Amino acid sequence: MNADPLLKPATSPVPEPQDTEPESEAPRHGPGPSSVYFKSERDKLLLTLPKPVEPNVAWLPLWEELQQQIRAGERFWQVNSEVELIVSDRLLDQGQLQMIAAALDQVQLKLKRVNTSRRQTAMAAAAAGYAVEQESPALPLQSAANAAPLENPLYLETTIRSGTEIRHHGNVVIVGDINPGGSVIATGDILVWGRLRGVAHAGAQGNPDCRIMALQIEATQLRIANQVARTPKPPAQFYPEVAYISSEGIKLASATEFGKNIFVPPQEAL
Amino acid sequence: MGRIIVITSGKGGVGKTTCTANLGMALARLGKKVALMDADFGLRNLDLLLGLENRVVYTALDVVSGQCRLDQALVKDKRQNQLVLLPAAQSRDKDAITPDQMKQLALELSQRFDYVLVDCPAGIEMGFRNAIAAAQEALVVTTPEIAAVRDADRVVGLLEANRIKTINLVVNRLRPAMVQANDMMSVQDVQEILSIPLIGVIPDDEQVIVSTNKGEPLVLADNLSLPGLAISNVARRLEGQKVDFIDLDAAYDKSLLARVRRFFR
Repeated sequence: MNADPLLKPATSPVPEPQDTEPESEAPRHGPGPSSVYFKSERDKLLLTLPKPVEPNVAWLPLWEELQQQIRAGERFWQVNSEVELIVSDRLLDQGQLQMIAAALDQVQLKLKRVNTSRRQTAMAAAAAGYAVEQESPALPLQSAANAAPLENPLYLETTIRSGTEIRHHGNVVIVGDINPGGSVIATGDILVWGRLRGVAHAGAQGNPDCRIMALQIEATQLRIANQVARTPKPPAQFYPEVAYISSEGIKLASATEFGKNIFVPPQEAL
Repeated sequence: MGRIIVITSGKGGVGKTTCTANLGMALARLGKKVALMDADFGLRNLDLLLGLENRVVYTALDVVSGQCRLDQALVKDKRQNQLVLLPAAQSRDKDAITPDQMKQLALELSQRFDYVLVDCPAGIEMGFRNAIAAAQEALVVTTPEIAAVRDADRVVGLLEANRIKTINLVVNRLRPAMVQANDMMSVQDVQEILSIPLIGVIPDDEQVIVSTNKGEPLVLADNLSLPGLAISNVARRLEGQKVDFIDLDAAYDKSLLARVRRFFR
């Protein structure tokens, strides 16, 4: 993957050409259902575990990611909400279900229901005393939903540290820093209320209208849709910036500038 | 119940074991009962640094497998009787023990000691998981280098994911002269990335190598060296005392004017 220098400021008189190799139509980094994800639905929270790619993806990384999500979202849930765990065809034993329930319990969420398509998981859940909903195994074709509507925005209040990767099929808001070695991959926009020093990939399924906004951009790499750019040497003083795709590739503009000159209100009603 | 503190870093060679040995000794000198646990199975070093190698009879593995009682395996320090070491086995590897077993050992020790310091191996694999299994607190040791800081950042993330909430930072092997010349990351630079509370800054010093080779922890010296003092201060801060950080830059200011200038920078 070629990383090309980025232009700055956006109104730079001599635009350098950006000859990014276009990636294939279906980007490798499509943020599919590969992340643990919380979503509220009327009177309960839905907690979706990613579909296992291989027969049984290691439990430990999943468990860590889950704990991270619980910690980062702690403030946003109503106390004593009921949680429905959606595990599709992942195999979970009773001990793992209890670990999840205990972790949820620490932030005063109650695991009530388990939604699974696997008999063993359903039995383990029933034995542990949760309501069980068993759906028929998903057809493999069904997961290739390309133009699926965006999920609710993901709002995380945490530092994304080295080695952490957040993937979300929608917009992402991070209140905190993205450290070098950390990455956020979103189908929609990425807004960082903090320093962006890792990798951010907006519009990861190919939408070039997506943007990356941060209070301070010193990213290792910025990616929007199928373009990649490095950030230029950091300026002496930092100010909020927006990265967007122009005809010459990815550009950075100061947030105030962007709002005044470049940003054109979208034609379609939001 | 004593405090179980894991000393970890991610990257190897930043001074975890040296810190553990010295910190344990410093806490013992403050009158605390301290147990040091070597979690680096297969590559044990902690006994060497303490000069206790020739006293090791049983190891943690023997306790786990029921071949001896816990207090039989504990090696009492010859200089500070408040300090004991639970050695790791050298012959086996890191899969020889499980996190649950480590947890049990640490909890048992914490019944009898004020502090249980766990010396974590480098890396984030099984040895790391064993070491953090029982910990309630962590000291993250890093040197002011980007690789060490990057690894420390990863480790902080893993500690947080394992619900260890009290995490403090020790910046080790700082060379103030290089920092002043802008050739080394400063403590502020490190803190800016890791964003966890700072509990100690230890300057780089040849004395550390000497003391390591002798098996004679720095904090035992009658005339405390700068790094020895810095580690004693970490111990006092762990104890809840307010201790000012040593002004490591002072020796490298060429004149009073330079010092005043630095103050305003």
